[in-house]
Amino acid sequence: MSGPLLDVNLQWTPPGSSLTLDVAFQLDAQAAILFGSSGAGKSSILRLIAGLERPRSGHVRLNGDTLFESSRHINEPLRRRRIGLIFQDDLLFPHLSVAANIQYGLKTWPRVEREKRTAEVADLCGVGHLMGRDPATLSGGERQRVGLARALAPRPRLLLCDEPVSALDLAARDLLIDRISAVQRAEGIPMLYVTHSPVESVTLGSWLFRIDAGQIVDQGPPLDVLARGGKVELTGVDNRFTAVVESHDEHGRESTLHLNGGTRLVVPKQNTPSGQPVIVRIRADDILLARGMIEGLSARNVLPGVVDRVIVHGAEAEVLVKTGEIRWIVSVVTPALETLGLCAGVSVHMIVKARSCHVTAAASQEI
Amino acid sequence: MPDLTPFWLSLRVASLATAVIVAVGLPLALVLARTRFPGRGLIAGFLLLPLVLPPTVLGYALLELLSRRAPFGLWLEQNLGITLVFHWTGAVIASGVAAFPMFLVPARAAFEDVDPALENAARLLGRGEWSVLLSVTIPLAWRGLIAGAVLSFARALGDFGATKMVGGGIPGATQTAALAIYDAVQVDDNRQALALTSLVATVSILALIVAQRSTVRKARA
Repeated sequence: MSGPLLDVNLQWTPPGSSLTLDVAFQLDAQAAILFGSSGAGKSSILRLIAGLERPRSGHVRLNGDTLFESSRHINEPLRRRRIGLIFQDDLLFPHLSVAANIQYGLKTWPRVEREKRTAEVADLCGVGHLMGRDPATLSGGERQRVGLARALAPRPRLLLCDEPVSALDLAARDLLIDRISAVQRAEGIPMLYVTHSPVESVTLGSWLFRIDAGQIVDQGPPLDVLARGGKVELTGVDNRFTAVVESHDEHGRESTLHLNGGTRLVVPKQNTPSGQPVIVRIRADDILLARGMIEGLSARNVLPGVVDRVIVHGAEAEVLVKTGEIRWIVSVVTPALETLGLCAGVSVHMIVKARSCHVTAAASQEI
Repeated sequence: MPDLTPFWLSLRVASLATAVIVAVGLPLALVLARTRFPGRGLIAGFLLLPLVLPPTVLGYALLELLSRRAPFGLWLEQNLGITLVFHWTGAVIASGVAAFPMFLVPARAAFEDVDPALENAARLLGRGEWSVLLSVTIPLAWRGLIAGAVLSFARALGDFGATKMVGGGIPGATQTAALAIYDAVQVDDNRQALALTSLVATVSILALIVAQRSTVRKARA
């Protein structure tokens, strides 16, 4: 297929608003973020692409198909756009069971395939055990996962996410972000994700558009764009990894986690049994970098890695370090870059105290 | 032995009137709840007129419209062979018009209560307008629709003025229970009046219970 995956050029003034939206962008990335403060017009862009609002002028093309083009009077109805949308408010059909919600978009599928696909996405989104339930009896995180399964079931050509985690508490938020990221990659469906959270942007996106007052003011890899926006926007960008509890020491003082790609991390004693999934969070400020191996450290974790990129913003900098498949974010002051000679390709050791690793059990919170 | 013919006629008239009310009122309620167009307020107001007009005024207006003296009534008779005035079908139309707002008001409110975002979610999942209506809008509004249908049935069952004007209250032909009770009292036939009153009151109270149960559950949901 030639041309970009998504080609958008939209002009629109929301009714009763002084803001005029005027954006043009092309998208090839599998997961792109629309980032900006509330009222910047991010959600409006999603609504215009989905067809929930009609642009004043412009066009929307997806995989070469024209969904909207003002000059040719083309405006495909919602049902033919084949776009999945998950909302801030989950918008599950309250009169249908979880299973019926997920199957809703599969009405025209043959029965056997419909059942198979429903089970498949339910499993992928972690809602297989909720199929007979009434949506009103579910937790916020469960409802959003059902919404995700419902949107993905008919294999949409594009998944649009409108701040789907913003109504959830922090723990449920973490889990849903992981779930969306994993599911989106497993299904290979391109995603456009709206958020004002730097953490979500960095975790989920490979490309980021910064939206301000209805315009795209910057774009690029998420960390670079956020760094250009200043320290404020990088605050709160932590390291978040899914891991599995590998073992507990015999004295009951500490546990060892196994991260994707083979990295091991010693953390304070966990109650989660071995083999169970957890999420570990380490603040970018809580990690030290060393060029060589240091003897006699009190810190429990010394992890060898290679600097992937360095992003400088004023007096501070973010160093991205790869250990195996995992990319870590480490905050340092700019002079440290020179002292240590940090640049891409340099080998470093990351020093992480066990107590800086904040662990939450994944399984218990998803129930 | 009291003559129950007027009661059975009333049930038939009110049931048919309710069917006509729902068939006409459902799309009207949906249009009023979901669309904006010039004159919408005027149409909505006009449809509520039976609620405020005296039943005899309403009956007279219908008589003037449907009798063969009126162009519409004449046209019905000459082209379709339908005579409504002094016929039991005229009673269906008269009581149906009188009871129409009792369905329209709750039905419109029920449709307005359905979040349009849910309908859009259904469209994005590939469903066409009919499918959205049948699988989302009506199932979510059904309590209000049932309540409206039951209330309009009860109102049609008890209609006096409009039914008398259009149907004439001919015994054995267009004399519904409400009219027969009046006629029985006029000739001092208390047994007949009491029998019909008890039956009509029982059906009306049952209808009220059904209507209340559906709205109460709606409030809790």
